Amino acid sequence: MKKVKLTELAFARSGDKGDVSNIGLMAKTKNIYNFLLTALTPERIKEYFGGMVKGQVEIYPVPHLDSLEIILRQALGGGATCSLRFDQTGKSMGPVLLGMQMLVSEELLEEARAADENIKKQFGVC
Amino acid sequence: MKKVVIGSGSAFWGDIFEPALEMAQSGEVQYMGFDHLAELTMAILNRMKAKNPEAGYVPDIIPWTKRLLPVTQKNGIKMITDAGGANPVQAALEVTKVIKELNLAPMKLGVVSGDDILPYINDIRAQGWKFKNLDTGEEDIDSIADRIAAANAYIGADHIIKELKNGADMIICGRVSDNALYVGPIMHEFGWDFSDQYIDRIAAAVTVGHIIECSACVSGGMSNMWKLSERPWDIGFPIAEFYENGDAVITKTSGSGGIVNSWTVKEHLLYEIIDPANYLMPDGIGDFTALQLHDEGRNRVKVTNMKGKKRPDTLKVCIGFKDGFIGEGLIYFPSPDALAKARWAEKWLRERFKKLGINFRELRIDYMGVNMLHGEAAEIEDRDYNEIGLRIAGRTNTYKEAEAVRREATHLWTMGPVGSSFGVPMNVRPVIALWPSLVPRDAVKIESQLMEVS
Repeated sequence: MKKVKLTELAFARSGDKGDVSNIGLMAKTKNIYNFLLTALTPERIKEYFGGMVKGQVEIYPVPHLDSLEIILRQALGGGATCSLRFDQTGKSMGPVLLGMQMLVSEELLEEARAADENIKKQFGVC
Repeated sequence: MKKVVIGSGSAFWGDIFEPALEMAQSGEVQYMGFDHLAELTMAILNRMKAKNPEAGYVPDIIPWTKRLLPVTQKNGIKMITDAGGANPVQAALEVTKVIKELNLAPMKLGVVSGDDILPYINDIRAQGWKFKNLDTGEEDIDSIADRIAAANAYIGADHIIKELKNGADMIICGRVSDNALYVGPIMHEFGWDFSDQYIDRIAAAVTVGHIIECSACVSGGMSNMWKLSERPWDIGFPIAEFYENGDAVITKTSGSGGIVNSWTVKEHLLYEIIDPANYLMPDGIGDFTALQLHDEGRNRVKVTNMKGKKRPDTLKVCIGFKDGFIGEGLIYFPSPDALAKARWAEKWLRERFKKLGINFRELRIDYMGVNMLHGEAAEIEDRDYNEIGLRIAGRTNTYKEAEAVRREATHLWTMGPVGSSFGVPMNVRPVIALWPSLVPRDAVKIESQLMEVS
């Protein structure tokens, strides 16, 4: 097993809906998606963000997209128009989540790195 | 198979202009949707209209149509815009002036209004509707009723479809849902109505609208693919080829920069939604959990198996109300001892605020470069930083107190530790808080008209 940051295993992008911060977490492969389904729990995510998330955390699985929709309630200081946070719309919440430490097997980590290489090969500028 | 080709020309008031013009010039689309409104925008536009009855639309519509209409006329492209804001009729009159000034061919402008429920919100309340707050669960709007600055329903595509049927060459709306700017032309072209047989295909249009409505956000903007985005300064806006069977291809203007692939589409499908199985829009409910994405070659993604549910009986309504003021300040500290200087300054400010007796609803002091974005998710490392900024933000009930917060932050400029650096002072801003709610669909008095300009 290896300790890595979540950024090795998934992509993330976040935005806002009122006082809800939502994070789209996209696993780099199907196996990683299945791993994240059990490794990430609402409790763990809420604890990671500390006082930033005052409400409930919900996780919606999106299996066809190998992704999780993570909902953080009361997480943006009342919502963009009243928030005292510099990042009023919570764009940084996704990338911040990618800093979470994960314990993964060497195999999954290999798979993630191969996926990164494939993306570069398939979509990189020639 | 018949298809409709529709592109996104704008995602917010102030969006970059050239990609819209380049898309129009390419002639690759039949329709272009332009969104200029955000939750706060309606309150701002309402205030403009209160000061001047001939204002309240998004002023960009004038310079934009001046440059776009000659091109869209030549290429037969219809524009659907929500730049009408709080005054769609006046916006249409301004576009009329542009058409005449530039000696363009005659045009029919469809104008959709009636999303503003503020004039008759008390009639709806009198019938027993309480406007429960969807975020906080508060049952009744009573506590803010005397502070409402705007109340707009996110209306659907019905009247966009109606005026397209009447032959409109351009549609100017107020607060329609961003999504309807795309669903409208798709439903019109295929002759669909809201009957049960079209539920999944309308849900597909809702889904595709969601994918492209944020302009560059699906073609390389804000993306995890940022390193792979080609000539990002030449970014192209997204285009959807929507097929009659409810499948679609997402692409972008030929020859433009940026990137469209299954990852950028995935990013955007998951962006700013709550339940991916129930993406609620006025024209239908998208279910993103069944659909499939396939990379179909460079910058082309096919989306299949889109499904959903029938449109809801209620419309979302966004009520903005006045709720205090925010005073802010910024100051930067260089090494040596940047962190210690920032801590010293925080202490100085807190003592000053105490001495002045400022009554805060909330006070927040962040260390820029250390924990401003990461908050409690990051530990503060005790090391010698090159520089650390201090950001001070306080929310108060009165303007006077918010102004005092701003002033105290500027006093640190001359009273802080050696090297304290500052830029331009900031302004106090009024807070328009949002009260998200629902309103019965049939309580909203939507109207539309066709303006013929010859």
